[in-house]
Amino acid sequence: MNYDLNSLAASKKSNTAGALRKLMRWLGEERRVLIYAFLVMLVTSGINLTGPLLIGRAIDKYIAKGDYPGALYTCLLLVLLYLVSFGSNYFQTILMGGLGQRLLFNLRNSIFTKLQQLPLAFFNQNKTGDLISRINNDTDKVNQFFSQSLMQFISNIFMMLGSAIFLLSIHMPLGLAALAPALLLLIFVRAISPFVKKKNAQSLQTGGAMSAEIQESLHNFKVIIAFNRRDYFRERFNEASLKNYRSAIGAGLLNNIFLPVFTFCSQLAQLTVLVYGIWLIKEGNLSVGLLIAYFSYVGNFYFPIRQLATIWTSFQVAMAGWDRIAVILDMEIHQPVTMLPSSKEHPPVLSFQDVHFAYPGVEKEVLHNVSFQLERGKTYAFVGPTGGGKSTTAALMAGLYNPTGGSVMLKGEDIQTFEGEQRTGIVGFILQEPFLFSGTVKDNILYGNKMFDGISNDALETVIKNAGLQGLLEKFEQGLDSSVSGADSVSLGQKQLIAFMRAVLRKPELLILDEATANIDTLTENLLEDILEHLPDTTTRVIIAHRLNTIESADEIFFVNDGRIIRAGNFQQALAMLMQETRVS
Amino acid sequence: MPKRSTQPPGKPQQPGLSALLKPYRGRISLLILFAIAGNTFNLWIPKIIGEGIDSFKQGSYNQTSIIVRFAVSALFILFFSYLQSIIQTYASEKVAKDLRQTLSEKISQQSFSWVQTTGPSKLLTNLTADIDSIKLFVSTAVASIASSVFIIIGASILLLTINWRLALAVLIIIPIISITFFTVLKKVRALFMKSRGIIDSLNKTISESILGAALIRVLNSQQYEFNKFIKPNSEARDTGFTILRMFAVLIPVVVFTANMAGVIILGLGGHFVIAGSMTLGDFAAFNNYLAILIFPIFVIGFMSNIIAQAGASYQRIASVLQAPDVPDTGTVEHTVKGNIVIENINLSFGQKPVLKDVSLQIKAGTHTSITGPTASGKTQLLNLVIGLLKPDSGNIFLDNAPLDNYRKEALHQQVGIVFQDSIVFNMSMRENIAFNQRVSKEAMQKAIATAELATFAASLPQGLETIVSERGTTLSGGQKQRLMLARALAIEPKLLLLDDFTARVDALTEQKILQNIKENYPGITVVSVTQKISSAENSAEVILLMEGEVIASGTHGELLQTCPEYIQIYQSQRSTGNYEL
Repeated sequence: MNYDLNSLAASKKSNTAGALRKLMRWLGEERRVLIYAFLVMLVTSGINLTGPLLIGRAIDKYIAKGDYPGALYTCLLLVLLYLVSFGSNYFQTILMGGLGQRLLFNLRNSIFTKLQQLPLAFFNQNKTGDLISRINNDTDKVNQFFSQSLMQFISNIFMMLGSAIFLLSIHMPLGLAALAPALLLLIFVRAISPFVKKKNAQSLQTGGAMSAEIQESLHNFKVIIAFNRRDYFRERFNEASLKNYRSAIGAGLLNNIFLPVFTFCSQLAQLTVLVYGIWLIKEGNLSVGLLIAYFSYVGNFYFPIRQLATIWTSFQVAMAGWDRIAVILDMEIHQPVTMLPSSKEHPPVLSFQDVHFAYPGVEKEVLHNVSFQLERGKTYAFVGPTGGGKSTTAALMAGLYNPTGGSVMLKGEDIQTFEGEQRTGIVGFILQEPFLFSGTVKDNILYGNKMFDGISNDALETVIKNAGLQGLLEKFEQGLDSSVSGADSVSLGQKQLIAFMRAVLRKPELLILDEATANIDTLTENLLEDILEHLPDTTTRVIIAHRLNTIESADEIFFVNDGRIIRAGNFQQALAMLMQETRVS
Repeated sequence: MPKRSTQPPGKPQQPGLSALLKPYRGRISLLILFAIAGNTFNLWIPKIIGEGIDSFKQGSYNQTSIIVRFAVSALFILFFSYLQSIIQTYASEKVAKDLRQTLSEKISQQSFSWVQTTGPSKLLTNLTADIDSIKLFVSTAVASIASSVFIIIGASILLLTINWRLALAVLIIIPIISITFFTVLKKVRALFMKSRGIIDSLNKTISESILGAALIRVLNSQQYEFNKFIKPNSEARDTGFTILRMFAVLIPVVVFTANMAGVIILGLGGHFVIAGSMTLGDFAAFNNYLAILIFPIFVIGFMSNIIAQAGASYQRIASVLQAPDVPDTGTVEHTVKGNIVIENINLSFGQKPVLKDVSLQIKAGTHTSITGPTASGKTQLLNLVIGLLKPDSGNIFLDNAPLDNYRKEALHQQVGIVFQDSIVFNMSMRENIAFNQRVSKEAMQKAIATAELATFAASLPQGLETIVSERGTTLSGGQKQRLMLARALAIEPKLLLLDDFTARVDALTEQKILQNIKENYPGITVVSVTQKISSAENSAEVILLMEGEVIASGTHGELLQTCPEYIQIYQSQRSTGNYEL
């Protein structure tokens, strides 16, 4: 399965209408609100459109004929109408804006949910910096459109359509003449739109690449200093910055062409109305009042377009952003699953049956035809040279990846048939590279653990004591409340301790330690071993390590090399293998 | 840790946006000039229309003259406004690009600890979002405000010259609309700031959920992450609603006021027309100017928002730009032998002491091991030796010269370090290994062979040219570690610092690699931080560090005689020691 967003985007043709349709699907229940909002907008626009007509009539009927009370009567009528539109204007903002806010809220939720559902392969195939920029910046662009321009956008469209109707119904030929320049505009916009969208997408993409560059360099700053490569950051960044500069200018020049052209067309329309209108008056087919009203309508028709030109840009930017988000939202989560039926009465806790595995997007297989079984309550060690496939085996055991061939069976059932919660309730996995969320030690050891929701520090300390973990907690000066935010506030070893406590407190049936104690000193490690030994008898332990003492107590040892797994029998045999086998990597 | 520089009293205020734009004043003036030129013709058009109607009424209607005047104006507007947009695109992007460059140069010259205390993610924001908001300011605010002010003043003057009494009555709307608008906008701005903060916390949750994707899947804590996310998301929605309610009041008030101006023109203007003190053409012109007048008020309001944001962004950027330079005062460049003397070093992170009164000596050409429990300060000791950190007090001498006296570049050219955490750049294996650019081809090959990477490199599809991905996912932990070793060896260091290098490399490989180093780099001084006594046993000196203090130092044999803590650690590892040697 391909999860590379950039290659996916390249293979997919996208257009504004398609993006909009997808967006409309998001409306769902909100469609009713949308209808109400439209009704209210009709009232507002209707009143706004009647105004010029009333004024035009007043000019012809009263002012031109010196009937001042008549003019005042029109004034009164107008004030009343405008008061009504005051109310409808208020409601249209509330309805439309509220819709936008709720939509945005749901959209953010959906993206986040999706992000949580996607498999690990997705995160490995995309650059972290790019992913973060895509999700944060692109939702922000959609956000800005929804919270600031959506309502303007729709009410402008109403205004435009209404004016067009009035223009045509007052005097058809003059109306057509007034609208003709709009046709020019339409052709122009249609011709230029694909370029605009392409350029904007390019500009967004170079922006993402730039963020990724900064992210990588700043997080690895110490290597940059230690290897005399301060120029590396500057050069790589300046290159990305220059690319962004070029694509942004390309996008900017196109985005900015709209406004001047729109203005020009609207002036063309005014000129047509003026010249043709005066000619019509001369012929006796139009009155001066209506001509003045016409100017208002031309304004009401073209001014929204001019505004739409500005909003259109933000609309296109929003749609380009939405497109990039939609790629993620459209991503399929479930992969085709080949399942083996559950068979045995007393199935092993976990077994590999003819498992093959290659990382997505990479041809080379990491595991070839691997089979083994893990029994309840035993301790297993996986040893072997680096790059032999140990960590990959562990990741498959935890269900982080699905095998490309064969199956991984958890308690006799294909691991892919398990719900996430079920699976992770059984399998505990301590990752090679520990990750901490910003917060305290307590936040992190209880992270994702429902058993101890809202537990007090004192109660938690008792729990930790009972699990034999207090020796580890002592390594943190402020105990549970020690802050772990900020990159270097805790050492790698301390991070591994937290990960260890986190996993043990979840009481898994199968606990996998993938080099989980590599950076912990041996004294502390003894403590960990002690804790492991005192886990319930039913707990199956899988230990991947380089240090032999950590695996000495294993019931069984597997030797992993070159994508194959061999049962090593006892400790001595495993040692012999380690010494004899040639490394493949 | 260097302290944040505090501003000395009496220093002039931080430079504002105008200072930033000073070098671009040619472009900016041109931009404003074109904006005003275009709008001059914009103001002229209603007058042409009014004159057209009047001349027709008076029978002196000249169609050609009207068409020519009108068309010429329209063409000039088209010309000037597109010229303006080209200049504003180039100007804004150039300002942004130059600022990015200045900023990245500044950052690249800073010390490691400065980057850590400032925070990489804050710097990322400075380089992207903050610069974007300045770009927006240049591209829209400058020209918009100039044209808006010009239109409001110009249209007002024109209205006053046509009929000053009606003009005064109509122009009342300007203060009414402005005051309402700016009052509400002021409140909204505070809310925008609040919502920005909420969005930041949303983004942080998203970022962490991406960085911690593996852990979340291991713990099945997706629901938990979602709960963490939903709170700021709901807050963002609620703030959005509050802002919305303000606009819901603002918009009708403004629209109603503007409409009232139309009513005034009809009521009062109609009176003047009937009384004969105003022509119908002027009446039409009034209506048309009214349409032109209102939009600029909004523009100024919205632009004031953009200006405020850009100002705040520039303040943040300026504070980075004003960070004191770290001049390299070192002059010593001679070849390093590797004699290290550390005297009474103290180092603390905030309140937390990391190293306490540490003194030790390392002899050139030997292998010294530093061992000790987790968080005993081993890594920070190495960071001090390579100059990434500076001690709070105490001295470090390298070959009898204080470390500070070395020119940094000369130092880093001779001291290789392998960090504990895997740092693999998103480029080819070759570029990762020959990261320091002075590395020769031979030196690189030797380093690869020494780090036992040759077979692996050869097995890759594109050999050394294979791109290793961002977080090095296609490499195993041990492979990453060996790649980092090759990177350090490629500079042919005189002094090699290894931070827990053995943690992810199996014993056999480790032995082979250490042997290779001895053979291929004769005379090299090696300082390795390790957890394994077996790795330390053969070194000339073992230093035991606990809780930031040197507990003991000596050969393995000596320590076994004299140091109970060392014996304890040794015992805990002893059972397998035989096999690993």
